[in-house]
Amino acid sequence: MISEMNFWERIVYLLQQYGVSYLKGAGTTLVIAVVSTFIGCIIGFVAGIIQTIPVDKRRDSLAKRGLLKAVQTVFSIYVEVFRGTPMIVQAVFIYYGLSQMCHIQLGMWQAAFLVVSINTGAYMAESVRGGIISVDPGQMEGAKAIGMTHVQAMMTVILPQAFRNILPQIGNNLIINIKDTSVLSIISIVDLFFVHKSVAGAMYTYFESATIVMIMYLIMTVCASGLLRLWEKRMDGDAAYELADPMDIGNQMNKKGGEKLR
Amino acid sequence: MNTEGKTEILRVSHLEKSFGSHVVLKDINFAVEAGDVISVIGASGSGKSTMLRCINLLETPTGGQIFYHDEDITDPKLNVPAYRSRVGMVFQNFNLFYNMDVLENCMTGQVKVLRKDKKSAQEKAMHFLKKVGMEPYIHARPRQLSGGQKQRVAIARALAMEPELLLFDEPTSALDPQMVGEVLDVMTDLAREGLTMVIVTHEMAFAKDISKRVIFMADGLIEEEGTPKQIFEAPQSAVTKEFLSRFRGV
Repeated sequence: MISEMNFWERIVYLLQQYGVSYLKGAGTTLVIAVVSTFIGCIIGFVAGIIQTIPVDKRRDSLAKRGLLKAVQTVFSIYVEVFRGTPMIVQAVFIYYGLSQMCHIQLGMWQAAFLVVSINTGAYMAESVRGGIISVDPGQMEGAKAIGMTHVQAMMTVILPQAFRNILPQIGNNLIINIKDTSVLSIISIVDLFFVHKSVAGAMYTYFESATIVMIMYLIMTVCASGLLRLWEKRMDGDAAYELADPMDIGNQMNKKGGEKLR
Repeated sequence: MNTEGKTEILRVSHLEKSFGSHVVLKDINFAVEAGDVISVIGASGSGKSTMLRCINLLETPTGGQIFYHDEDITDPKLNVPAYRSRVGMVFQNFNLFYNMDVLENCMTGQVKVLRKDKKSAQEKAMHFLKKVGMEPYIHARPRQLSGGQKQRVAIARALAMEPELLLFDEPTSALDPQMVGEVLDVMTDLAREGLTMVIVTHEMAFAKDISKRVIFMADGLIEEEGTPKQIFEAPQSAVTKEFLSRFRGV
């Protein structure tokens, strides 16, 4: 019987009995975290871009300025509300609130994606805004000086650099989301934490199950941050190049055929 | 390029610029004709760079007018990007796009703004990169270049737009002394070829050498304007004399 086993035997037993459930739970956690981080980034970029649209009092019409101000205010409120309240409460509020108040019956999954996405979006909005602002203003001037419009300058010059600036933040959000999806068990999403609660409750093996789940979360987050580090490195290009003697760049480029740099 | 039968490209008329209560430009008047090479000299804070930035509308003038041919560019209805695509600017801090390599820097404006196809944009970019001697570095990133190299690429990027007028905002001020020469050499070649240029600079010997006209600015006003000979050898104003006395023997 399980009560006669020692710690390690119990872990092995749990893995044999519930290994598939744990893995499925981890899969759910990953899917929600990755998809929601992606959608959240899109929301964040839209919000961040809108927040940084410059206004020219002389050249822009009153209607355009008014509309922009209104949209910017909406986004500010959105950011404050979703950054300022716990995700676990938001989940309950949206899942139950929408069905009661608006008679919109969201599925658990829809609710889960919605809550995590808009939460991530609220955090990313500020990161993107910061990422855009931290790009050297000279870059925008350089783009404008060759005749680019604000949109062209943003798309070709500013956003690619802002994206690189905020890549660490995106990684941060992904890791936070992998962990924080655990609160979605409150709306009965069968994620890794939900599996843990079920298993631990059924078998009275809280410590053992928690150990398994801890390690699984850790593996997921460590892999996520490793992959993002790799991505950052690839975007930065060859680090040795930076240190290269300028006189030598031509030679190195010939060796590499100049292609690797791109 | 032909400098005969002078056409006026730009006319600055009673230009004023203030930041809040701080008046930087008081009443600036001058004209640029095709083929002109105009150097703008003067002490730091005299408003040289602000004037240049007003011409490219990176700063909005608070008074007066600037005519590009006969179009008033201070008119709020002006298509600013289209105007800027015809008047190039080279910055003190280069402002090369850090997310692109050298070749892409010189192509992106042609492709996005002038709507050229990639092939002809690349040919044009290569032509000007060759001209500034940066052809071996076409796939290098800006951060892998020295200051002088960056500035030469920035000049090629501006030239690739084939501007009617090219503005230089202290192009050598951010460079190490040993790199100033390579940039001035490129600019001297451009002046010889008849490119219309307005150059804000602290390089007096260079200004004296290549300019057709020199504008001396002091305290938000054009104190004196004339040929290099007039300004450097027989300045009329006491302020000009005082300023130039510090550069004697350069």
